[in-house]
Amino acid sequence: MKTSIIVLATCLSFTSSVAVAQQPDFTGVWTTYNEPGAAPGGGRGGGPPLPMTDSAKQKVAKYQALVQPTGDTPGGYCLGTGMPGSMLGSGGYPMEIVQRPEQIMIVYEAHNEVRRVYLGNRIVPDADRLPGRNGHSSGRWDGNTLVVETTHLVEQVDQRYAHSDKAKIVERYHQEKGPKGETVLVAEMTMTDPVFYTAPVTTVKKWEKVPNGHLLPYECAEENWIKHLEQLEAKGAGKK
Amino acid sequence: MKQIVLVAAVLVTFGASLAAHHSAIQFDFTNSKAVTGVVKKFIAINPHMQLVLHVKDAKGERDIEFEGHSTNNMYRAGYRDNMIKVGDTITVYIAPLKDGSDGGYVTAATTANGTRFGMRSRAELEQERLKAEGKK
Repeated sequence: MKTSIIVLATCLSFTSSVAVAQQPDFTGVWTTYNEPGAAPGGGRGGGPPLPMTDSAKQKVAKYQALVQPTGDTPGGYCLGTGMPGSMLGSGGYPMEIVQRPEQIMIVYEAHNEVRRVYLGNRIVPDADRLPGRNGHSSGRWDGNTLVVETTHLVEQVDQRYAHSDKAKIVERYHQEKGPKGETVLVAEMTMTDPVFYTAPVTTVKKWEKVPNGHLLPYECAEENWIKHLEQLEAKGAGKK
Repeated sequence: MKQIVLVAAVLVTFGASLAAHHSAIQFDFTNSKAVTGVVKKFIAINPHMQLVLHVKDAKGERDIEFEGHSTNNMYRAGYRDNMIKVGDTITVYIAPLKDGSDGGYVTAATTANGTRFGMRSRAELEQERLKAEGKK
């Protein structure tokens, strides 16, 4: 009897480790990948017009008119890009992925934006999710491809891929080898949003692995705090 | 002179930081200008480094405030802690303000010991291209 239990436990453990081992490990630091011969920037910006609904166009135009004179951006106010801008480049800064079987952490250096992709039993029920600029992400493996579905987004008109709170973003991640042997993480994105778009919006972002890479700290609000203290000092605050 | 200049990375991070952070609308990134002065204040910070230089030039003697790339972008272009200290005489390479007033956006710097870090501006890259083609 004792032997049977040990054998069973061993089999379960073995099965589990084999299943995990079959999946690629995306852990590491990644930076924007430039295709050989392509202009630097990893294809950021530009692109064909998006199939936007009239009401969405009006919202975006209103926002653009508001910020165009000053060129203000969310980042200028220490606000993270949000999805899908974060996964499409995060302002040109690198990202780090820490992968566990039940949860994948994606940390974008700019603004320390963090996405948590829950898998299996860690997936949070719909009713328990709160909306946010990066939404709520759950993942599953489709062979060697990680499929991440993101919902519970808030409406955002302040990024290239503007969207409503009804948007759903599906990312499919897989690894490839580049011509120089570099490891490339390919992220294929499809965003559906019946409020903002008349058709699914698709794009591809490629990241290159940085061997032994490190993210740097990014305390964006420190500047605001220092300026605030300088203003207090200028007003004579704190002097008896 | 030691030179630490990233070109390829800059083209990524340069455009990126402009898109991602504070408004850059007031700066003329088609031009590059060198300004030398004594450091009165320097804070390596995100999203923009803060710098005040005491400058003496044809306009007279005064303090000029600059902002520049994020510390993170500068780090990847060669900046390291304590490279710039109050009292140092340094040269900064800036995208000047469009209205011609003092100040600008620091894209690179040469420190007191001659170490250069930072990005080549679009203007510098264009000048280098023309020079390579024998046009300037």
